[in-house]
Amino acid sequence: MMPAVLEFKNVSVSVKVGGADVALLRNVTFDVGKGRILGLVGESGAGKSMVGRVISGLLPDNLRFSAGHVYFQGGELTGRKARALLGRRIAFIPQEPLSALNPVLTVRQQMFEHMKHLGLPRKQWEPYCLERLAEVGLPDPADMLGRYAHQLSGGQCQRVLIAMAFSGDPELIVADEPTTALDVVTQAQIVRLLRQVQRKHGTAVILITHDLRMAAHVCDEVAVLYAGDVVERGSARRVLEAPWHPYSWSLKMATPNLTGPQYVLPALADLMPGLKQIAELPGCRFARRCPTRNAECENHVPVLESVGQGHYVACAGQCRADSASRKTEPHALPPAAHPGGRPLLELRDVGMTYQGRGGRKGQLFHALKPLSLSIGPGELLGVVGESGSGKSTLARLMVGLMAPTAGTVHVDGVARAQASARQAAQMRETVQMVFQDPDSALNPRRTVEGLVAQALELRSDMAASERRQIAERLIKQVGMAVDALQRFPSQLSGGQKQRVNIARVLCVTPRLLVADEIVSGLDVSVQALIMNLLLQLNRELGIAVVLISHDLSVVRYLCQRVLVMRHGEVVEQGPTDQVFGNPAHPYTRLLLESVPSDDAGAAWPPTEHDQDSVRAGSAELEFQS
Amino acid sequence: MSSISVNQQARPRGGMARIFSHPKVAVGGAMVLLFICVAVFAPWLAPNDPNAQDLLATLLPPAWAADGMAQYPLGTDSLGRCVLSRLIYGSRIALIVAVAAATGTMLLGTTLAILAGYLRGGFDRATSFIVVLWMAFPPVVFSMMLMVGLGTGVRNVILAVILVDWTRFYRVVRAEVIVARQREYVQAARLLGFSHLRVMLREVLPGVAPLIITLFSLQMGVAIIVEAILSFVGLSVPSNVVAWGVMLADGRDQIYQAGWNLLAPVCGIVFAVLAFNLLSDGLRVVLDPRLRKRGGE
Repeated sequence: MMPAVLEFKNVSVSVKVGGADVALLRNVTFDVGKGRILGLVGESGAGKSMVGRVISGLLPDNLRFSAGHVYFQGGELTGRKARALLGRRIAFIPQEPLSALNPVLTVRQQMFEHMKHLGLPRKQWEPYCLERLAEVGLPDPADMLGRYAHQLSGGQCQRVLIAMAFSGDPELIVADEPTTALDVVTQAQIVRLLRQVQRKHGTAVILITHDLRMAAHVCDEVAVLYAGDVVERGSARRVLEAPWHPYSWSLKMATPNLTGPQYVLPALADLMPGLKQIAELPGCRFARRCPTRNAECENHVPVLESVGQGHYVACAGQCRADSASRKTEPHALPPAAHPGGRPLLELRDVGMTYQGRGGRKGQLFHALKPLSLSIGPGELLGVVGESGSGKSTLARLMVGLMAPTAGTVHVDGVARAQASARQAAQMRETVQMVFQDPDSALNPRRTVEGLVAQALELRSDMAASERRQIAERLIKQVGMAVDALQRFPSQLSGGQKQRVNIARVLCVTPRLLVADEIVSGLDVSVQALIMNLLLQLNRELGIAVVLISHDLSVVRYLCQRVLVMRHGEVVEQGPTDQVFGNPAHPYTRLLLESVPSDDAGAAWPPTEHDQDSVRAGSAELEFQS
Repeated sequence: MSSISVNQQARPRGGMARIFSHPKVAVGGAMVLLFICVAVFAPWLAPNDPNAQDLLATLLPPAWAADGMAQYPLGTDSLGRCVLSRLIYGSRIALIVAVAAATGTMLLGTTLAILAGYLRGGFDRATSFIVVLWMAFPPVVFSMMLMVGLGTGVRNVILAVILVDWTRFYRVVRAEVIVARQREYVQAARLLGFSHLRVMLREVLPGVAPLIITLFSLQMGVAIIVEAILSFVGLSVPSNVVAWGVMLADGRDQIYQAGWNLLAPVCGIVFAVLAFNLLSDGLRVVLDPRLRKRGGE
């Protein structure tokens, strides 16, 4: 048998925490053969990127390679050797395509630099670059070479980086979340491209991702990582279809379906253990969150054991047999109920137009073409579309952070522009916004209590004890412990921050929440918790929600009605089941096809010709004179 | 180490203890404290009246030199005044100018900076233009011009420092305010019904406060130097008040015969400015959340 291109054998990486060694990677074992794609799947903190660091020989100073062996093409790979091979025989595709390219150098300069590193003769550089750029499907390679990073779209940047990664004909490529920063349509294209080029060159690829479904479609094999342990490894299809380990199962189940019956997302309690907690988990690191743990788990380190057909699971408990814990409850949203009632929020022919600046002076840019829309009390409305489709502009208009350039916004039947000061204050309380990025939306200098009770500061008559009580009630309402009130946002996890973000707006008892991409950027299990929280608020307090998202499955799970937007225009709207089940507009179809299917047997990503017809012309913002 | 999150449960150590555990802050803070004590307790510390002339003992070397007198530890100047006493009393003017000028600079510069950075638009363009114009003048010449216009005196020295240096605060703080203003928490506060003034005071100001403290400390050092320059050229204090710049001017004529007369005020200035600069540099590191160790990513 040929040696694997890359083999990890019982690799451990550890860090010193308070005198004790804590293993950030523990006995990690896997291999990738020539022309194969291995997916490393896990949430943040699982140690996925650490594997990439080990391969590149670029471990941070405080970490130590403490045990095991890494073999590259049969020979042992040391840190120094790895660094010598970088770019030539081992190449990386980074996560953030826009920041991976140097903004002050042209694509040509950066690719030539790489050619120099590869040792190609000078006069071959240009034709070679052109050939490689053409291979990754960039339309006009000669023009591309002269451009700077900011003149490229995210997808184009990623194509350039893929071209660079493959230009040395490396044996191994490590792609660290290559599509996370891209929208779903571009993601499908990049994944397809990556696979296409990889097949052509017979390269081995390690794909690091948090998306089990995507991994299952793209990869031949996947390894699921949890807190530095490989908990399950096997053929991609088997792991997605029949995950054995409870963590893989919950990872799979935490993403809602796009087709078929829906179920209440099962959410794991607690969080991925951090560095300090890992030190206190001598046995199975998943045990504390595991629904099927037994007494043995906490002290016994599970080892990967074969369960047949090259499928390995590390679990000491009876996770394989116990299916009782894997029941799901069916989930269905109540139908949108506002028969003839007065709408809570109404947009009448609302549009937003900007005057062009600089070179485009005198031209008008339509951020939002006039649209009418009404939202009833307790309704759940989803707005989907890729970046630049006008979703965020719509959100800002709804809450009144912007005034529309055309049309009127009515809250409870009163036009916002004509509202008196008292009415305006009331409107502000009725319609609230939950911001996308809790890091930016929570003032780092306030405590959680100060944040949650922020709105009460305006009431000077309120006693501090009363304020505190309200803060306690709110923090409990979003499912957090009262002792979190004295912390600062920097001491909270991403999911906790998002809860505080929600609790803050609940303080003014709004009746409509406009939530702008609030679950994107969160790990899937945390995302599931936040979605369930929104549903609970809707059910218990009757709060209507406008959920803006690029993630169609999230919208399907949460929303009764959906609006599909593109280039500032609503292309399709209607009940979610109808729009997603039987899309009328080609753009909606394209979006739906781009989402990795939950059926591991389905062909994904879709073939090229369906996509490009709709894609054409969408790379540039459309300016109209 | 990005991949594994460190979930910090405990609250960070108490603010003051954490701040003073930084070596630069500790050393700089101790030096500043010493400087303040010397200035406050000058009448008790000084061995002689700083203005008393002993014409029989002019230009004495320090006490440890062969011709030195124990009564004048650092010797005397050309009029027979005690150098040590003058050095000690001189710190009072330096401290007054440092505190008052830095406070005034901070208030003027920060207020305008927050207004300009937050409101943007016409106000920002106008103030920023004035600042650009202002900074085109060489600072030393500018302050001397001001002194000529305003007349001498400590109060006018302070005023001159404020009028020259407020631009430093304005520039740095405004840039930071513009960043803070774009954060979503500012919009969130507006949506919760906060007025612009309240947003500026409760949301924006706390974010730039560490920067202001750092600049304040730095500005105290700058003010000491400017005061020394102005009293050196005789535009600052009246002749019966002791200031380090005056000592420098007096000692200049005997630089070859009695170098220690110059050395003493120079040491005073260096000590005070170094103290404030060290403190400022330390505070910059300790108070900047970006340079601080991440609490619990």
